Amino acid sequence: MSKYWISLINSISEYFAYRLNFFLWRLRVVIGILITYFLWQAVFQNQNNVFGYSKTGMLTYILLITFLQGLVLSTQTHKIAFEINSGDLSNILIKPINFFGFNIARDLSDKIINTIFSFIELFFLYVVLKPPVIVQTNLFWLTLFIFTAFLAAFLYFEINILLSFIGFWSKETWAPRFIFSILVTFLAGTYFPLDIFPNPIYNILQYLPFTYIIFFPLKIYLGGAQNAFIIKGLIIILFWILILGYFLHYFWLKGLKIYTSEGR
Amino acid sequence: MLKYLKVWLILCSSSFQSFFVSRVGSVLFLLGKILRFVFFLGFLVLLISRTKVLSGYNIWEAILFYLTFNLIDTTTQMLFREVYRFRQQIISGSFDLILVKPVNVLFRSLFGWTDLLDSLNIIPLIIMIIYVAVKTSSFNFGSALMYVLLVINSLVLAMSFHVIVLAFGILTTEIDHLIMIYRDVTSMGKYPIDIYTEPLRSIITFVIPVGILMSVPTKALLGVLNISTVIASFLIGFFTFIFSILLWRYSLKRYTSASS
Repeated sequence: MSKYWISLINSISEYFAYRLNFFLWRLRVVIGILITYFLWQAVFQNQNNVFGYSKTGMLTYILLITFLQGLVLSTQTHKIAFEINSGDLSNILIKPINFFGFNIARDLSDKIINTIFSFIELFFLYVVLKPPVIVQTNLFWLTLFIFTAFLAAFLYFEINILLSFIGFWSKETWAPRFIFSILVTFLAGTYFPLDIFPNPIYNILQYLPFTYIIFFPLKIYLGGAQNAFIIKGLIIILFWILILGYFLHYFWLKGLKIYTSEGR
Repeated sequence: MLKYLKVWLILCSSSFQSFFVSRVGSVLFLLGKILRFVFFLGFLVLLISRTKVLSGYNIWEAILFYLTFNLIDTTTQMLFREVYRFRQQIISGSFDLILVKPVNVLFRSLFGWTDLLDSLNIIPLIIMIIYVAVKTSSFNFGSALMYVLLVINSLVLAMSFHVIVLAFGILTTEIDHLIMIYRDVTSMGKYPIDIYTEPLRSIITFVIPVGILMSVPTKALLGVLNISTVIASFLIGFFTFIFSILLWRYSLKRYTSASS
């Protein structure tokens, strides 16, 4: 266990080596949130209810994306593709350490740092913008929110590792990742809640994994979600976690068979 | 001038050839950009079809802001892609190899990599802008001419920002995200600048002139711009350009070639 702990600590130390870069990265996150925040504030200028959301509900949703970006969307799994292509994966393979355990530790460091900073930013945004927000006090919704956010983080981790495994077969790993990031931006709910889509589109989206990365936990946080929505959502997210877990194992073994440590 | 056109064409040719090395990746990147554009346009249409107006602008006007943003952003990215690779040249020391060449260093650092794939998006964008502009009631020849001039001013302004980023790249090799921050800040111009409340609106109009870069041309086309803002826009464009050149010269004098 201690070796994974040390991997985590080492990854955290890297952030402190490049402090300015990290600060600028967080600044980018805040700018992104501000743009979306002001768009929705303008939308609610003359209306109290849009797409079934109150101004308070929508602004809470937008601001909490900062938190979920830290907990769910922060990842270092893109490094795996580079490590495969450069042959650096061999450095991990020859060590007495589990590949997935090492990557979980590395990802956790990213999530810890980003989540801590997201709290600071949320506080800063709250003080500066003074938005009307929903502070969830119901323990049931809060627990479920945290639980589904962790499931979302695990789901996102699996998808990202699978994308990096493309590196076993191709050097062009950035383009699929670019398309994936666009799909996440629009289909996970980082600009808007997905249920503002017309029903036929929303019904399809409910079966895709993207929905459960941002929208599902935030919808639960806002409270009042129906039991059927929660149970259906939990079944679908667990289905995706299991099926992707299987593919992860399958493609890892397949990839290792053709891995030649090229570049070393 | 002709010499630089020749050099640019050679650089374009080499960057174009590189697309054939990674054909699948290039096509996927292009598809991704189109997907992003379509998704966002769809979201904007969905949003404003429900709310009818966005900060006083109707659906066609809001789309015009978005299309103009894309035109300026895509053209800038197409022309100045080399800036994204500049830091690596400083760190590795390969910038020395550019310094010894008989070509203006700033020209080479700005135009060294022209992303011709982006040019495929520009023509459809211009057609869409003309179509949407005609749909708005205020379209006339005078406003269209002013729009073109202000778009050119925006491109000069965007180029100046890229020169400033290059200069910072030399002075402080640490900054990885500066060009991305420029892009994030300018993406505020996807929407009419009027959606932002004060003091942010003034800051992004005059201090970090995102408004002048992205919103002012569209406002001219819609006929909602006063003459003093037009003059201020050209003046800010001109002085930012002068400042960027001075900063570039200053940074170049402090280049130590320490990494090579």
